[in-house]
Amino acid sequence: MTYEAFLDRAPLVVTAALTGGVHGKEANPNVPETPEEIGEAAGAVEAAGASVVHLHARRPNGERSFATERFQEIDDAVRRHTDDVIIQHSTGGTGAPDADRHRPLRTDPPPEMASLDMGPLNRYDHLTSENTRALVDSLHAEMVDRGIKPELEVFNDGHRNEVYGLLERRDLADPVYATLIFGPGTLTRPRPENFLTAISDLPVGAQFNTLGFGRHQLPFATMGILFGGHVRVGLEDNVYYDRGELAESNAQLVERVVRVADELGRPVATTDEAREILGLSE
Amino acid sequence: MGCPYLAYRETGDEQSFDEARAFCTVVDEFVQPMRADICNDRYELAHERHCEIYRAHEGTGEEGSADT
Ligand code: SF4
Repeated sequence: MTYEAFLDRAPLVVTAALTGGVHGKEANPNVPETPEEIGEAAGAVEAAGASVVHLHARRPNGERSFATERFQEIDDAVRRHTDDVIIQHSTGGTGAPDADRHRPLRTDPPPEMASLDMGPLNRYDHLTSENTRALVDSLHAEMVDRGIKPELEVFNDGHRNEVYGLLERRDLADPVYATLIFGPGTLTRPRPENFLTAISDLPVGAQFNTLGFGRHQLPFATMGILFGGHVRVGLEDNVYYDRGELAESNAQLVERVVRVADELGRPVATTDEAREILGLSE
Repeated sequence: MGCPYLAYRETGDEQSFDEARAFCTVVDEFVQPMRADICNDRYELAHERHCEIYRAHEGTGEEGSADT
């Protein structure tokens, strides 16, 4: 994916990360937490142009859940509220046992996509999300068994090495789809030159998705649009619409990035087009 | 065992919720869902080791204090 893809007006896949697992309504009361709220948010972002919804599960009090049953309730609600959106489950989970990290893959039907974290990242001051290679491989194996497309989450430059390592260890169906993540802490420093380095150092034929945290969400999404990649926005990654102004909804963030894509001349992919781009169609 | 400073509240910090949520009485704020796993010592997490708020409050969080 390059600037040429932008010039060629390749369709843009918009992913909406609706809820996440780190913060919740204490950070922004508009973060959806219950299955019904997540389902409604999915309907609204699909109407706004998102073709993929990235989902985490919450307990009734907003705390994290890794239970298959809770993901099932969420998927059922999402399907009630959407036409044809692509469901992507998170398998992330700092501190959670490896067995729990597999549980989001076991809904019926399975999600079409699931995240696969490429390596460790620091959390708070005394916690690391390990994401060992052994866990990456076991999650990938179950995804292959269940026909789930992995979304490789590349939190920093070293994780690109891990992508190449994964490609040596295991067969990944084409195209490789990697989300490049920019922000504070263990993430790649959110600077345009780092974005250019990252996109030029991906495996040949890979598709990339662009994720900027917090105030970097919009500028990095715009770079993703300009350089032929795809974009992820949503309240999981950014609870603000502007400085000091909380976002009203996930849909508000999707609507903005769709307007930017439109102004820049990049068409937003339909869900069918997104399935074709991501290699999900039969 | 859970952190002694953890409470579940429906109101506080100028916010209110239908379902009681994890509230930290050290900082008088609702805590993030992921941190609530630390507050509850879920999985292999432990508030004495993993929460910088607890450590600072108890005087165990000085610069250089290692997780040993
Ligand atoms: S945030 Fe830290 S100090 Fe506060 S209740 Fe949770 S573990 Fe205890």
